[in-house]
Amino acid sequence: MTTALHAQQVWFAYPRHEPVLRAVSLTIPAGKHTVIMGPSGTGKTTLLRVLAGILKPSRGTITVFDEPLAGRSQRQLSSLIGYIPQQLGLVRNLSALDNVLMGALGRLGDAQTLLGIFPRAEIDAAHGALDMMGIDHKSDEQVFHLSGGERQRVAIARTLLQRPRLVIADEFASDLDLVLAYEILGRIRSAAEKNHITFIMSMHRIGLARKFGDEVLAMENGAIVQGFIGNEYLETKSAEASA
Amino acid sequence: MRPSFFVPLMVAAFLAASLAHLGLFDWQRLTRGVRNLGILGGEMVPPDLTILPTAAAALWETVEMSFAGTLLGFIAALPLSVLGTRNLFANWLSSLARFVAASIRTIPVLLWAIVFVILVGLGPLAGTFGIAAYTVGYLAKIYADLFEGTDPEIIEAVQSTGASKLQLVRYVIVPETANAILAQVLFMLEYNIRASSVLGFVGAGGLGLVIQIYLQSLDYRRLATVLLLVLAIVLVMDGLSAWLRKRFLLSTQGT
Ligand SMILES: Nc1ncnc2c1ncn2[C@@H]1O[C@H](COP(=O)(O)OP(=O)(O)OP(=O)(O)O)[C@@H](O)[C@H]1O
Ligand SMILES: [Mg+2]
Repeated sequence: MTTALHAQQVWFAYPRHEPVLRAVSLTIPAGKHTVIMGPSGTGKTTLLRVLAGILKPSRGTITVFDEPLAGRSQRQLSSLIGYIPQQLGLVRNLSALDNVLMGALGRLGDAQTLLGIFPRAEIDAAHGALDMMGIDHKSDEQVFHLSGGERQRVAIARTLLQRPRLVIADEFASDLDLVLAYEILGRIRSAAEKNHITFIMSMHRIGLARKFGDEVLAMENGAIVQGFIGNEYLETKSAEASA
Repeated sequence: MRPSFFVPLMVAAFLAASLAHLGLFDWQRLTRGVRNLGILGGEMVPPDLTILPTAAAALWETVEMSFAGTLLGFIAALPLSVLGTRNLFANWLSSLARFVAASIRTIPVLLWAIVFVILVGLGPLAGTFGIAAYTVGYLAKIYADLFEGTDPEIIEAVQSTGASKLQLVRYVIVPETANAILAQVLFMLEYNIRASSVLGFVGAGGLGLVIQIYLQSLDYRRLATVLLLVLAIVLVMDGLSAWLRKRFLLSTQGT
């Protein structure tokens, strides 16, 4: 089994704050869906931003597909890692298609893209990605007019067009009702299989985590408390939740 | 004393002292002023409409100057404000850009007009450049602050697609702030139309020259016609910008 991402003793503190991540070590297997669960404020978002190369860890090492993450620019990382923040990071004033096309910016030059010109192949690929997420009929609609679930599909399509090997998504599908969440996560699964993408997602709903995660990591107080495919942890958590 | 109590007290004391110093408590002068206002108003009616063609031509020149000056200033302000966006560029560069904008802004539009009268001679061209200069200083600051307020999550997300700084500006920052960009430039156009009606005082073209002549010759009935024209154009501008706002900004109302 190959490793998509490996973190070794990673510490992180926001400036003038106590450490949020404390000696986090984890291994993300390639081609799988890893879900990170944990109570609010425990550091999931922070961990994902560190793993995506957006925040620099204060200590520890991270490797992505066996190469060190440190010292590489976002542009260099863009062919490896896609990142979807909790609020999705879509530009509301632009159309769904334009948002998806942004996934290709990392491999296109300034000259053409600043004029708004994208190669035909990229536009076709963008429609393909939207289609895969079942939203191509709304490609010309402003994101502003789209529903929450539709926006999630657009965000995934943008990441698909980026063609990274690893996608890191924060609290994905968290605000959706279960039926919709299942549908979208199902589409993500088939897209991931087709394009050989590894997924890391944070989630707080046990039902979704169990259904979607091949691996589930539990996090508490800035540390991974159980680094395994723990159904046991999930059982106790769902018992707590229903109690 | 607690500062929460002390600060308003100081402000009130300073206000009272300033007003006294400026003569606001001089009742004699104030009553005289009100009486004179009545006389001036009386001398302004009825407005002398025979000068309408002359005034309208001068007004049109003012509108042209304001429009061209605002547009030129807007075009120059965009790159300057991008450079002044602190979360995009190194601190020294954005500080430099902001310093340039602040220096331009320090000089009032009337002084800019004088500078350009010296540089390019009397006439509306000087006024146009004066308006453009002032507009750069103002918009560059407003826009830089606006750009800095762009939702960092969106910037992070698009940065992680490998987008360059210019691509970020083109695809995230400008679209996200488009409404405010348009609203500010419309505000600036309105402001410049009013401001440029005095630029003629220094020989920089437009309506100001006409206003100055009627003021100096105490020709208040003709002055009234000119002021009515200014009022009309400001109202037209109001309507126009309301329409533009509706036309282009409606799609994002209720965010
Ligand atoms: N920019 C920041 N500066 C300082 N502290 C921060 C910053 N961002 C987050 N924190 C703190 O770091 C801790 C972890 O935050 P984080 O957002 O990573 O938690 P989370 O597990 O994602 O929570 P949630 O489930 O509510 O999204 C919190 O205590 C939070 O207050
Ligand atoms: Mg979070």
